[in-house]
Amino acid sequence: MTPTATPGKVLLEMKGIGKSFPGVKALEGVSLTLREGQVHALLGENGAGKSTLIKILSGAYTRDAGEIFFDGKGVDIRGPEDAQALGISTIYQEFNLARDLTVAENIFIGHLPRKNGLTVDWQAVRTRSRALLDRLGAKISVDALVSRLSVAEQQLVEIAKSLNRKTRVLIMDEPSAVLGESDLERLFQVVRSLQAEGIGIIYISHRLREIYELADEVTILKDGRYVATKRVAEVNMDELVRLMVGRALTDVYPKRQPKLGEVLLEVKGLSRRHLVHDVSFQLRAGEIVGFSGITGSGRTEVMRAIFGADEHTAEMRVAGQPYKARSPTAAIRRGIALVTEDRKGQGLLLKQDVTMNTTISGLRYLTRGGLIRRAKEDALVAKMIKDLRIKTPNAKFHVVNMSGGNQQKVILARWLSMNTKVLIMDEPTRGIDVGSKSEIYQLMDDLTKQGVGIIMISSELPEVLGMSDRILVMREGTIVGELTRDAATEEGVMNYAVGNLAKATATAPAPAS
Amino acid sequence: MATTAVATHPAAPRRNLGIARLLRDVPILGPLAALILACIFFSTQTENFISGAHLSFVLQQMVVVGTLAIGQSLIILTGGIDLSNGMVMALSSVLMTGLFANSGMPPSLAILLAFAACIAFGVVNGWLVTAIGLPPFIVTLGTYSIGYALVRIYTTATITRVPDSLLFFGERFNIGTTGITVGSVLMLVLYAIAWFVLRSTPAGRAVYAVGDNPEAARLAGINTRRVLMAVYVLAALIYGVGAVLQVGRMGVGDPQAGTDANLQSITAVVLGGTSLLGGRGNVLGTLVGTLIVGVFRMGLQLMGLSTNAQVLITGVLLILTASLDFVAQRAK
Repeated sequence: MTPTATPGKVLLEMKGIGKSFPGVKALEGVSLTLREGQVHALLGENGAGKSTLIKILSGAYTRDAGEIFFDGKGVDIRGPEDAQALGISTIYQEFNLARDLTVAENIFIGHLPRKNGLTVDWQAVRTRSRALLDRLGAKISVDALVSRLSVAEQQLVEIAKSLNRKTRVLIMDEPSAVLGESDLERLFQVVRSLQAEGIGIIYISHRLREIYELADEVTILKDGRYVATKRVAEVNMDELVRLMVGRALTDVYPKRQPKLGEVLLEVKGLSRRHLVHDVSFQLRAGEIVGFSGITGSGRTEVMRAIFGADEHTAEMRVAGQPYKARSPTAAIRRGIALVTEDRKGQGLLLKQDVTMNTTISGLRYLTRGGLIRRAKEDALVAKMIKDLRIKTPNAKFHVVNMSGGNQQKVILARWLSMNTKVLIMDEPTRGIDVGSKSEIYQLMDDLTKQGVGIIMISSELPEVLGMSDRILVMREGTIVGELTRDAATEEGVMNYAVGNLAKATATAPAPAS
Repeated sequence: MATTAVATHPAAPRRNLGIARLLRDVPILGPLAALILACIFFSTQTENFISGAHLSFVLQQMVVVGTLAIGQSLIILTGGIDLSNGMVMALSSVLMTGLFANSGMPPSLAILLAFAACIAFGVVNGWLVTAIGLPPFIVTLGTYSIGYALVRIYTTATITRVPDSLLFFGERFNIGTTGITVGSVLMLVLYAIAWFVLRSTPAGRAVYAVGDNPEAARLAGINTRRVLMAVYVLAALIYGVGAVLQVGRMGVGDPQAGTDANLQSITAVVLGGTSLLGGRGNVLGTLVGTLIVGVFRMGLQLMGLSTNAQVLITGVLLILTASLDFVAQRAK
């Protein structure tokens, strides 16, 4: 199961790496050793510090503390050029390809070979690109436009591009997250062949199965701190999950004593092509249902469908009456609201003021004879500012200048200022300071007391466990587990989310759903 | 409780009352200041610059572009742009005169068909933008050419026989000793209506929301396609009114009219402080922008500068204003 390649000499050593951002310690005391021909997995929850660490290695950030040794010599990586000169390449989840150029042009972008010192030697570009792709076992034409390639093929082009430079350390940031099951095996083969060439690979993934498939060693991070480094052959999945999530719950969460009412929302057989398969669940008045799962498991896609934002098939009922989610407008009229994850891109009207952002969805309750009743609108906004404790100089303040927490409150004000029955919140506290966080939790609790049902998507396990009355775990577009508040543990949820199913069902039996 | 909130809110103390903040909160102040400075400047250069007669003259000169600029403002507020407006206006004006003079239709039918042609252009523009998703710049560049050709296919000769009802809009009435045309008043009324609708109706808010962030607007429950379609059709109707004012002012149906009205109307919108990126601005600003252009033209004319110099200075003014706005936006 574990690769047999014998690890070579130490290539890269990071010791006591630290990095702070204003108000946040993103990394503290993190160490990692990488050998030639080794696959070293980096494991941790969202926000554990994996990205920060690889950004330090690739020169996107500079470290505040600690030392980096390359080939035994201390080095200082001050920018991407330094990392490139050392032979450190990174494949990010978001590819860095020019979509309208060909495969060969992308591989050689930035250092096209010259003929006679003047014109580009296209022949060399094409033959050398071909050789690189062959080395990866990729059958892509070097003349194909990148925009025409599948995601898996684009990934291979990215890898070829990094191999075209001198590469001794290859960092792969969740390379499997963008791939379907069928493309995984080819990715594994590529990783193994690079390993055989003596390249050291830092491999980030949430999927434990892959770590066992590929990695020699695994380093676990949590909340920006180093937890442990283990030989993969000597650690089992349960222990990995425990190392990843084990921490004390804090008391920022209100004590929930839910009084469940009628079924507000009933979803049956919701599907979206390639993204969501046959999702069914119910939400009751006064209930908070948490949706857990790793990024890309289809949670957001389910919620957008319920809100009428994307095409889907499903049989749904709202308060017992049939409901067709044709458009967000239709959803809002039935009392369904969506607080999007991407607050600035999909929630706020950034050039407008607090008033306009608050009342834009409920203007029809504020009109008489087709005209907006200004006095009524101003009174409503003033009440929302007061009730939600939105910090703003006045109602005409532009939301672009507000903090993340206050912006989120403005979006909540929008939905709470009208007759919202089902409140869907996608990562409700992402990018929000701790103070506003607990205020938002308190608000959620209050709302359920008034009979609102809340669906909360969250990638933060403590939040899921702290707020949800019931937790549904999604993986690969479908619901794979349901846990009650009492039965749920971080390990239990994570086991479902990453597909450690034998263990998941053994520790936390799912109630019949 | 509600009443206290209403009462306290407008009186709430304004903190950080910097000029930049003031300009952002009340964006019309910038263009207004420019207009006043221009008037002061020209008063020092010419005799009796600020007078009723001069105001009337500026309004008359700018009446067509000023009207087209209302439609242009609506479209730019949604994040679009309309290059076809001058041609829609020209086509409409030759139709409403030509169908009467050459085809013997009753004036009301001729005017009705001319407006129908405007609506057709609005529907085509709106449909291509919403259903196909083409950039408005490309769509209206295409319909500009189509309009240009249709006008010249219909007639190359100026149509001199005009329905009396249209000439009415070129007639003057006196306020004191100043003669104001009916058309100028109609333009000002249209501005007032557009301002009121944008400010006080859900539809007006929707225009800003769509221009600010179409996806956020959609997820806030706004039917973005319907809003865009309505804006393009409404703008085209306003261009129809522009055609009526054009014919009323000149007394003829002129196939040469409106060739550069698209650029002039965009100039007025930008000078008025409306962002070409959409979602920010105001039609009163556009009115001020229109007046700025008119004041500069007249002032420079009175100073004895040629038409070409006037156009040149308008261009410089436009770039200067847009740069100031851009720098101010980036600064915050």
